[in-house]
Amino acid sequence: MLFRMLKNSFLKRPKAVFLVFLSIAMGAAVATAFLGIAGEVSHKMALELRSYGANILLEPSAVEGGGFLREEDLPKIKTVFWKYNITGFTPYLFGVAEFSAGGRRERGVVSGTWFSKQLEVPGEGSSVQGIKGIAPWWEVQGRWPEAADEAIVGAALARRLKLAPGAEVAALVRGRSQQFRVSGIVTTGGFEEEQLFAPLVTVQELLQQQGKVSRVLVSALTVPMDEFGKKDPALMTKDEFEKWYCTAYVTSIAKNVEEVMAGSRAKPIWQIASAEGALLTKLNSVMLLLTLLALGASATAVSTSLMASIAERSPEIALMKAVGADRFQITAIFIGETLIISVCGGVVGYLIGDQLAELISRLVFNSTIVSPLWLFPTALISAFVVALAGSVAPLRRALLIEPVRVLKG
Amino acid sequence: MHRRRWLLQLVLRALAHRRGRTLLLLAVLAMASSLATALGIVSFSMEKRVAEEVRKYGANLIVIPETARLDVGSGGLNFGVIAEPAYLQQQQVAEALSRSALKAERSFHLRGALHWKDADLMVDGVNFDDIRRLFPWWQLKGNWPAAGETVVGHDLATRLGLKLGDTMELAGKARMLRLRVSGIVTSGGEEDALLFLALPELQQALGLEGQLTLVRLMVTAGGDSLKQSAAALQQLLPAAKVNEVRQTARTSEGLLAKVKLLMIMVTAVVLISAGSSVTGTMSTTVLERGKEIGLMKAVGGTRWEVMLIFCGEAALLGVLGGLAGYLLGSAIAQFITRTVFSASAEFIPWIAGVSLAVSLFLALLGSIGPMISVFKLDPVRSLRGE
Repeated sequence: MLFRMLKNSFLKRPKAVFLVFLSIAMGAAVATAFLGIAGEVSHKMALELRSYGANILLEPSAVEGGGFLREEDLPKIKTVFWKYNITGFTPYLFGVAEFSAGGRRERGVVSGTWFSKQLEVPGEGSSVQGIKGIAPWWEVQGRWPEAADEAIVGAALARRLKLAPGAEVAALVRGRSQQFRVSGIVTTGGFEEEQLFAPLVTVQELLQQQGKVSRVLVSALTVPMDEFGKKDPALMTKDEFEKWYCTAYVTSIAKNVEEVMAGSRAKPIWQIASAEGALLTKLNSVMLLLTLLALGASATAVSTSLMASIAERSPEIALMKAVGADRFQITAIFIGETLIISVCGGVVGYLIGDQLAELISRLVFNSTIVSPLWLFPTALISAFVVALAGSVAPLRRALLIEPVRVLKG
Repeated sequence: MHRRRWLLQLVLRALAHRRGRTLLLLAVLAMASSLATALGIVSFSMEKRVAEEVRKYGANLIVIPETARLDVGSGGLNFGVIAEPAYLQQQQVAEALSRSALKAERSFHLRGALHWKDADLMVDGVNFDDIRRLFPWWQLKGNWPAAGETVVGHDLATRLGLKLGDTMELAGKARMLRLRVSGIVTSGGEEDALLFLALPELQQALGLEGQLTLVRLMVTAGGDSLKQSAAALQQLLPAAKVNEVRQTARTSEGLLAKVKLLMIMVTAVVLISAGSSVTGTMSTTVLERGKEIGLMKAVGGTRWEVMLIFCGEAALLGVLGGLAGYLLGSAIAQFITRTVFSASAEFIPWIAGVSLAVSLFLALLGSIGPMISVFKLDPVRSLRGE
């Protein structure tokens, strides 16, 4: 009996059922899309902000401006506790050299570095590390160096030496000389414009500093500093220290990296780290508030449409009562209807919302997202709960009415 | 006239008679248009607010003397200046900046060496008020300096064994300086190895009154306009070189574009789905009135008149809902910008129009759609309740 009534209630008034279904599906879609991206957005934004450049500088602890780090320690950076938060790193080896090209002679800095080096670490996947990854703002005219004797020249140095891509330049350091072919000219507006960048191995050879690097820049995903993060780790209790070490503050990641590089000192670059923290905190809270707003709005929309659809059916309820149905039976019919519509609406809404989240993520961040698994049951259950909440009030009112008055009109 | 009043009467009475339903519809429409308002205002102020936040990444233009060369280094390492020193005239730069009418924060720097004990120290003469605005990432232990005081970079302080409150005597080309260390700064950048003092004091000590080595500018402009600003400033300062700091300039543009796109997408998603939900509710309430429409038709109402009555009702609800939604939405937007950016939301007049339009559109769409199908009904059948 119950089943037949439900079936006919759907088949006889398809329009009304469709409208309620539409509103539930849309509400579920908004909720799914928002919950799906809200979690991802902060991660994606953090990745976006990494393009402002490295936020940790590793330098030799021994002497100011002197001393070296060991190149063989570098792969260890990919094995530390916070390895998944480290998005990239680049070693540098600096030296002052005399450049000569086409009869001109200039003093400048020769830097050995990785441009995009395939790094194989035993036990970890291979990754590409180097300047291309951590300094996306470099504007290279020409192409990146590929061979060991190719180099990128800073714009200011290139102007003084009258260099263009394809030209040859010789670097002279303490009697040793090395010929470089210019593959590109780089404009950054910063220190880099006065330097010549060549592959690390070549520069180590030139400077006679085999296996050594003078600086390492590390780009890491961090959480914003809060009051606890600002405390001095040296003064913490054991528990506090553990909590600090296991939170991705820029200081704790710096400490983590410092531990694996022999003779190094890691400094957060506060210009980058603090601005990033402030920006992330704000973006996250905007997303949180907007999610709350959207969830609230879709819940209201669904509840009200249920209210509207049940309220119009008071004559039906009155008739059921008149032919002897008790409250329980009537409630069962209506809850059953709500359950069926909201489950269908929830599934369809989840599918739409999933696509929407995917679309947003692809358009804005050029990447796909994976909706968390818990989102599917959540979407279904919340669609049902919200629909139920919307039907309770009008149903109660309808149950209280006297059948005779409604049937009389 | 009489007829129009009668129609109005009918609309008003119909709304008043079904008070619960009217309130429900009003609430739903107000909610949709308040969403539109709030999201609209937040999206629009978002761009400005985020742009402000992004400025914390530091200067985006630097001005250096044409003959001088940039300091050499990368990241935190600075090799010092290679070429012979050259200077900018402070007067000239200040004039050029005021003539160019750029909206820019600026910070003047004079870099030089002072002799202390047996060594030369790199010192930077700055205006500390500017520093506090342009370098918000400085982590200062101690106090900002008053006259006759200095701030020392953390690495330098460690190397020289300087502590807060120490006094040092520095010898410049022109005169001696006695400075008290009032603070120690950590920034992770080149500042860690420098000693900072007030610009006029350093200018006097070095005998370089009115001279500068570097001007940092934070220009409030994005995209091509930053390049144009740099070019315009370059024209006014022929003796100098204006450089765009790509690290901050370009990345900020990309980030702002992304934030804007994200907000637009979010707004669109919410509006479309909340809108269709609201339209659904609106339609439900029209569908249930099939009997009423049948009666109107039976007593001789033309389609046009019936349409007019229902649209009048919808329009009235739409306008009221839109107004309420605008007020509510502005309050929500205000709340969001206050809690997150601690600044009040912008007042954008045309958002009111959008809010009204959203509410009217949804109300009319919701009633016209089902009415067309109701019209097809035979009045006799709908009156009989079939």
